[in-house]
Amino acid sequence: MKLVRRLAALAARFERRDAILFIGMGGLITASLVALAFLGEPLNAGLSSQVLRQSIFVALGGAAYLAMSRLSYRVWWSLSWTTYALAIVLLLAVLFFGVERGGSQRWFLLGEIQFQPSEFAKIALIVTLARFYTRSPLALTTLRGHLLAGIITLPLVLLILRQPDFGSAMLLLGIWQGIALAAGVAWRRLVIPPLVTIALSPLIWLSLQPYMRERILSFFDPGFDPLGSGYNVLQARIAIGSGGLWGRGFSESSQTVLEFLRVRETDFIFAVIAEQAGLIGATALLAMFGLVILYCLMASLSAQDSFGGLIAAGVMLIFVFQVVINVGMNAGVVPVTGLTLPLVSAGGSSVLALLAALGLVTSVSHYREPSNFQSRQRPAIGDVVE
Amino acid sequence: MSQNPGRSDQRAKDLATRRKLILGAAAGGAGALLVGRMWQLQIFQHENLALEAEANRTRVEEVPPVRGMVFDASGRRLADNIPVFDFWLDTAGVEIETLPDLVAATAVAIGADPGELFRTLERAILNGFGEIEIARNLDRNTALMVRENTFRWPGIDLRPRYRREYFSGRTMGQLVGFTGPIPAESRDAYLDRGVSLSEDVGLTGIEMRFQDDLRGTSGRRLLEVGALKQDIRELHYTAPVTGANIHLTIDTPFQAGITAILERFLSPEGAGVVIVLDPRNGNVLALVDYPTFDNSSFAAGISDDEFQGLIADPRHPLINHAISGLYPPGSTFKIVAAAAALEEGVVNAETPFECSGHLILPSGWIFHDWLKSGHGTVDLHRAIAESCNVYFYKISGGDPYAGFSGVRDKTLARYMREFGFGRATGIDLPHESEGTVPDRTWKQTALGAPWVTGDTYQAAIGQGFVQVNPLQLANMYAAIGNGGTLYRPRLVTHLTNSNGTTIRRLMPEAFGQLPVTEGNLALIRNALDDAVQGINGTGFRARTGSVRFAAKTGTAEYAGLRDESGNLPSHSWFAGYAPYENPEIAFAVLIRDGGEGSHTAALVARDVLEFHFGGKVPPLRYPTLAAIRAEASA
Repeated sequence: MKLVRRLAALAARFERRDAILFIGMGGLITASLVALAFLGEPLNAGLSSQVLRQSIFVALGGAAYLAMSRLSYRVWWSLSWTTYALAIVLLLAVLFFGVERGGSQRWFLLGEIQFQPSEFAKIALIVTLARFYTRSPLALTTLRGHLLAGIITLPLVLLILRQPDFGSAMLLLGIWQGIALAAGVAWRRLVIPPLVTIALSPLIWLSLQPYMRERILSFFDPGFDPLGSGYNVLQARIAIGSGGLWGRGFSESSQTVLEFLRVRETDFIFAVIAEQAGLIGATALLAMFGLVILYCLMASLSAQDSFGGLIAAGVMLIFVFQVVINVGMNAGVVPVTGLTLPLVSAGGSSVLALLAALGLVTSVSHYREPSNFQSRQRPAIGDVVE
Repeated sequence: MSQNPGRSDQRAKDLATRRKLILGAAAGGAGALLVGRMWQLQIFQHENLALEAEANRTRVEEVPPVRGMVFDASGRRLADNIPVFDFWLDTAGVEIETLPDLVAATAVAIGADPGELFRTLERAILNGFGEIEIARNLDRNTALMVRENTFRWPGIDLRPRYRREYFSGRTMGQLVGFTGPIPAESRDAYLDRGVSLSEDVGLTGIEMRFQDDLRGTSGRRLLEVGALKQDIRELHYTAPVTGANIHLTIDTPFQAGITAILERFLSPEGAGVVIVLDPRNGNVLALVDYPTFDNSSFAAGISDDEFQGLIADPRHPLINHAISGLYPPGSTFKIVAAAAALEEGVVNAETPFECSGHLILPSGWIFHDWLKSGHGTVDLHRAIAESCNVYFYKISGGDPYAGFSGVRDKTLARYMREFGFGRATGIDLPHESEGTVPDRTWKQTALGAPWVTGDTYQAAIGQGFVQVNPLQLANMYAAIGNGGTLYRPRLVTHLTNSNGTTIRRLMPEAFGQLPVTEGNLALIRNALDDAVQGINGTGFRARTGSVRFAAKTGTAEYAGLRDESGNLPSHSWFAGYAPYENPEIAFAVLIRDGGEGSHTAALVARDVLEFHFGGKVPPLRYPTLAAIRAEASA
């Protein structure tokens, strides 16, 4: 009885609109586990089985979600620089102590379990930038302030590029620009970093790793190297297209079952689902992402303070960017960047981090007490003292 | 900035709200685009992409059909298939250290030289050649032995295959022909017909002419394959259809007996042709060209020595001279001029002409008769029976001293064509020659020279520019024998499928009628009878008690080396039909470089007739060609 009462008390803490999040989140995780289960690996293969491994991380992520949602997001105000520093340390450490997989050194190996610090760096960056744009009014009103936020972002970007992980690095820059946009930085200042990047693009092209250049080339012309980097793009397009309206089911999905599609569990899991469940399934999956994103937007709009609003907006940006880029690359309209489909692609750290982040958004959504963050006028880093 | 913090805060908040709504709208727009893209891929491009997925997933494997058989008129097998094994080795799977053992285990069984095999394999391994063929056409026992001796090595592959096996190759080889790899120049044509490049196809004879029927239809195996191109399972199987069997009109023992008659006379250096047709329907009863080749040698993989021997033989045994050779027909051809003169009203049966042994044109050219003393006054009957040249000079090219113009070259040429010359007979064999029917148009085109009276004289006696193949001549005599119908020589009676059911009949087929009235034909037939039976008949040496028959000799000079007395070499002909009444066979015998037709060819023809009407090959009662030549040169 006591347990029931406790659960009832816990349930009472959630609001009606949380159902939007639960339907989206639950649907995505279910789709992920079902898709992974039918990728042919036996369920009794112990921890090496994708489904079991993913389930464990979903459970851990669920716990993290509950914890984060009950904890006031405001505790991260004072801890933001600590998390930022921790992210830098972890990203530095992974360059020295991480394991290399597929030409990229992104993971720590803890026994059987892999841990990818860049997933946590995203959240650390969101919290840090949310505080920065809330704390320093000049960040919104001067170019210097906006660029200073970019300078905060840059160490994380460079460390992740070093791994190398082009997609995640670009995602961090996107989060910076997106939070600045949400915070209200003037358009004329917002467009400066992208314009500078375009101006410098020849230099950037020369400094890219050959594999990154190939990916960009194979995006513009998938036939460029049909058996190499263009192979996956072609096969994913075939897989999605052959799914048709209703999909081919689990056993008849030849592109998936016969492994014409590679990296099925991670980068191209969307193509797997689209082949098996068709346009109906693919649209349903996108709709569930829509629910999650909608919830984040609602939380951001109703936040009691700019800090919370920007955190929710930042988490929303992770979902928007990753879904658009991942689905886009599956459908052959965006270059292959290696960004995963949030909550759906196999990957423990990613699920754990994203569920924790959604817990943070839930916390923002739940807190009703007005805060006084914005009224603080104490000089902060980058503030111009007149 | 702190004048009205409340309002400024509210403005900042409104701005942030607007910005967040912009972000949300952008996300919604991006989502809508993605759904649109899914719609495009999964609905509009679905069919194409599903086909691509299917193409990814499947592989079609051709299953070659079993080739049809060839049978003679009595159902004896002439061509069949036997299972053999080709010995392949994937050299990537062989360690160089184990190579001596591998060679020791296989060389003797496959009949290879161990040292040579070792060097071949060593080079293949060191150069990474991958799969190579070590031996072909191993029989089942040898293949089993190789398999047992080599179980330790991976990459040994004994591939089963059918190879052609021929029977009666010594007598029927040239007719049946043989198969072999597709010649480079006809690759595309075969590919268009669905033949795979690894298949053997008919290269000559019946094998070539009936290639499409004999081959059958390939089966197909639809296989599911994985991303690494590995076979996963069979999705669908269509069995191949075995090729059709070809049934010939020729009975092997008859062909073999005639081959023996020809061979014993011609061996070792002579060459000749015997053709026997059924004049009632055009059936080919024998078509012998000596010397020939044994097609079994080609099926088993002919040795270099044997092949070089065939190539180097000046008699060209690889060519079927019965249908491909071209020769002047000599006096056997006089029938055409006789028919033309009668039909055109230039002469009648009684019109007399004087033969003094030669005819001298005003231009000074002399045309000889074979009988130097001359035949005296001759009519048509005697002219044919005794083969008077001067008579035929006059009725064809005219007599300038008597103001008589003859039938002239154009009309003569028209009759030649209507007698079946100058075009292929249409026998079911490849490489048939057409021959030459000369007239002034032809000569102007081919040689750029004007026609002269002498050309007409030569054409009338089957010399000069006239060229025929032996089958055309035999076919003309068949038509004279049967009352005037030219049949397409029929070599194949019907085709059956692998169950023995007839799937196609090739009916006798008349392609022309001799332009001769019955009365005139009777005159000619009567003269041909006398040519054998008459006191002065040139074909008297062929007379036999077995049958009364009609025939004509021919001695056709050709442009070769003259002998010591200055005479040109000549081909010896004898052609006719038997029995005289209601003929059952028509024949043509050609002894290449055989001298007088009344000698050599007539003797061979007599043996052929006695064999046909008496049932067995008569003993040799005359000297061989080699002996005749030895005596002549002595």
